[in-house]
Amino acid sequence: MLLQLPSTLMLVFAFTLALSFFYPRQLPGFLRFLLVAFLGATVMTSYNFGIGRDAASAGLLAMLALKPFETHSQRDAKSLLGFSLFAPFAAFLQDQGPVTLGLSVVAVLLCLASFAALTQNLPRISWRPLLKSAFSAGLIALPLAMAGFWLFPRLSTPLWGLPENALGGKGLGDRMEPVEWLDKLTDDSIALRVKFLDKTPDRNQMYWRGPVLTRFDGSAWIRDLGAMVRAPPSLGSDSNRNSVRYEVMMEPSSRRDLLTLDLPTQVPGYAKINAEFTAVTQDPVNELQRYEAVSSLQPVFTGQLDDMERMLALQLPGELNPRTRQLAQQWASETPDPIALANRFLSWIQKDFEYTLSAPLLGRNSADDFLFNTRQGYCQHFSSSFAVFMRSAGVPTRVVTGFVGGDYNKVGAYWMLYGKDAHAWDEIWVEGRGWIRVDPTAAVAPENILDTVDDLDSSKNFAESFFSSTFETSDWLRRSWNELILGYNAARQKDLLRPLGLNTNDAKQLTFVFMAGAAIALALTLMLLLRQRKEDLHEVERAWRIFIRKMRKQKHAKLQHEPAALYAERVAEIYRSKTPDQADRILQLCARYTQWRYENREFDSGEIKQLVSDLRQFKPF
Amino acid sequence: MSSQARDLVERFGDRAARLAFIRPKKPEPMPIELNRGRIYVLPTGFGLFIAAIITALLLGALNYNNNPAIFLAFIIAAAAHNSLVHAHLLLSGLCIKTMHAEPVHVGQAMQLRMRFDAKGARDRQGLELVCGDSEEKFDLLAREQIEVNIEIPATRRGWMQTGRMRVSTVRPLGLARAWSWIRPDTDLLVYPALESQAPSLPEAQGEGSQSRMHSQGEHLHQLREYRHGDARKQIAWKASARSEHLLVREYETQTAKEIQLDWFSVASLPYEARIARLARWVVNAEHSNCRYSLRLPDQFIASGSGPEQRHACLRALALMPHV
Repeated sequence: MLLQLPSTLMLVFAFTLALSFFYPRQLPGFLRFLLVAFLGATVMTSYNFGIGRDAASAGLLAMLALKPFETHSQRDAKSLLGFSLFAPFAAFLQDQGPVTLGLSVVAVLLCLASFAALTQNLPRISWRPLLKSAFSAGLIALPLAMAGFWLFPRLSTPLWGLPENALGGKGLGDRMEPVEWLDKLTDDSIALRVKFLDKTPDRNQMYWRGPVLTRFDGSAWIRDLGAMVRAPPSLGSDSNRNSVRYEVMMEPSSRRDLLTLDLPTQVPGYAKINAEFTAVTQDPVNELQRYEAVSSLQPVFTGQLDDMERMLALQLPGELNPRTRQLAQQWASETPDPIALANRFLSWIQKDFEYTLSAPLLGRNSADDFLFNTRQGYCQHFSSSFAVFMRSAGVPTRVVTGFVGGDYNKVGAYWMLYGKDAHAWDEIWVEGRGWIRVDPTAAVAPENILDTVDDLDSSKNFAESFFSSTFETSDWLRRSWNELILGYNAARQKDLLRPLGLNTNDAKQLTFVFMAGAAIALALTLMLLLRQRKEDLHEVERAWRIFIRKMRKQKHAKLQHEPAALYAERVAEIYRSKTPDQADRILQLCARYTQWRYENREFDSGEIKQLVSDLRQFKPF
Repeated sequence: MSSQARDLVERFGDRAARLAFIRPKKPEPMPIELNRGRIYVLPTGFGLFIAAIITALLLGALNYNNNPAIFLAFIIAAAAHNSLVHAHLLLSGLCIKTMHAEPVHVGQAMQLRMRFDAKGARDRQGLELVCGDSEEKFDLLAREQIEVNIEIPATRRGWMQTGRMRVSTVRPLGLARAWSWIRPDTDLLVYPALESQAPSLPEAQGEGSQSRMHSQGEHLHQLREYRHGDARKQIAWKASARSEHLLVREYETQTAKEIQLDWFSVASLPYEARIARLARWVVNAEHSNCRYSLRLPDQFIASGSGPEQRHACLRALALMPHV
């Protein structure tokens, strides 16, 4: 967590801690007051007097840095240690990666070692055995912790809400505004990872559908919230002929939309497909979401566009963009077929338009400005102008936002989509065929939208491909982490237990499962705890014990008080009658052992080896 | 041996020890082996504090389904839970073999020596022996024995038992305390208190001086059985002829004073003060190398000297009935 702090704060905390270490006496009251005030002020100013997750975490650290100053008794030390347990947990508010967990585990083990140190009332503490015992305590705790982690009943709905500023989403909004979108298009972090379960669609069909924007106010495209409650238009059964199944792992977006391949037909139970074919969940996606869905690549629409939808899809703000309107009406009269009209528009912009992220700002009549003046822009400009044009021509059109493209991860065989892969395209309604996807940006700059990995790979030199494969591996590791650890929740727990015939909705069963798991883990723990210290025996002594054990099995047990020599004579007497050479062997072995044990003579290594092997290989019958 | 302030749970355990179902229910003979039927484990105050913190952390982590946090919380919780089991295992199998103490006078500290060993080959570190207000820490390594000395106050003359003693440990993490009560039935002797400003020893009576047995002397004291090494001229042949054994003459030489300590000579004092005075006189007499005898209401200890005589007298005084 320390590393996530602003550097000035880090320095101040380190200084405070060092001070408390080198100045073990109690500070005078006014100095302490000054220090507290100083640290408080530093924390407050670092976060611009905001109170939130980060400031609270820094405050916690400040208190922990100050506490050693008044830690003089065991009691103080205990409370300091107890509260310092909060620190590794605060770190997880910001990042839940494996590195953070690793560091936190180290921190917790240090805490345990300190607990152990407190139990030894010694003037000087030797840390090495303490750390060793803390490490082994952590190791022994693993089985039980695992049982708790996998089997402890999870909450399917949180008891209380998320702290508001904990949400930092990569989600596509309910609005599309140019400036906001520029941020998205330069975001390098992963937004979703996708694995196709049966077949992989063509790359130019990989349009990941998010929110659909229908209302236009002249500058921004806004989502029609009414679509949330309407049912989706019906699809023909032929839609299923060309469908793909895939698994998505979506990073938290703090939005309620699940991204699905255009066009979704089946989504997980907790989501539903709205009238605009966007999969919407009940609750915002605030944690890693893992889901399976099915999409149709060739949807067949059977229904009609109802009046309400048609009106929405034709709506334009009054008198804006006169030139676009004029051109659209003119072209519509020349090419009445909507598809031909769209193609005509595409071939027009293909010639004269340029794709760039540093697009000039547009005026009030944004479509006019873009189509007739600047002619430079990115997906937002292209899709918006196209929609204005088509609506002016009387064709129902809407803007669809989502992600397109992505990189293929060869190590893990999945697709990675980044924030910068966010995209906006259009859909036009054609009577008899339904909604048809039109991507004007792809017409202008297909390489920017649909780069294929193979194209890139051929142009890469060795170093680049090495780095890209390293990157792919690390992303794959991260994905596995996400899948195994971060993606685990109440739903996954249910999936895990279902094959065992268990219903996690039944609290009794779940408790039982947890108890059973904990019991097994406890048994394992006990086994580890009961390990005994092995007696440090010489190899001859060990071999001798094996020999004695063998003899005991033959009912010739050596008595506790019996010296080896006397024992040998007693047993040899028993053997003498039947197998005299066996009797001699026993006598000789015991004599050699007695020599080794009691005679004041150093055996050389060859003799010892011989004695050991003779003792071990002795067969008592 | 600064004893720390007892925490809430420890005080609770101490109080609960008086309940009828807490084992051991009666004083028990040595050796005492600690098994799971009599080991009690509870979290310490610190353990309760940590448990509260873990609960808070776990609740928060579960609420946000923050998996690394859940995992970490479970690790701490499991480590804490295991320390309960571990503490139990540190005591289980421990054996108190013997208990001894040299008698001391009332008001002095009795040095109790207890010998511990254990079954199995586990190191048992950080054990604690508590008796009343005194406590002693010790480590018992695998396959070893240890003698633990603990001082307990001697408060009353006569036979004393240690009462309820506690063997406990808070290892490994200080989050849990495992303890077992032991109630040895070993009787320890406490000599009576000594009167602090007693008058000097009574004058020797009868022939007035201290006397000593000697093989040669003027006055024949007694005949006794022949012992190896006795001089031949000592043998009382005539007497031996009448007896089955060889007898020798023993003479008495008046070499030292003999003091008679008499219960009835200090009748003016209250009961316990009489005992204290006589005890003081016994100690003083022994100290000044005198021979002394002790007369008590229902017994007489014949004249003698040396540690055994001293012990016999003090023991008799210690065991005077309490009134």
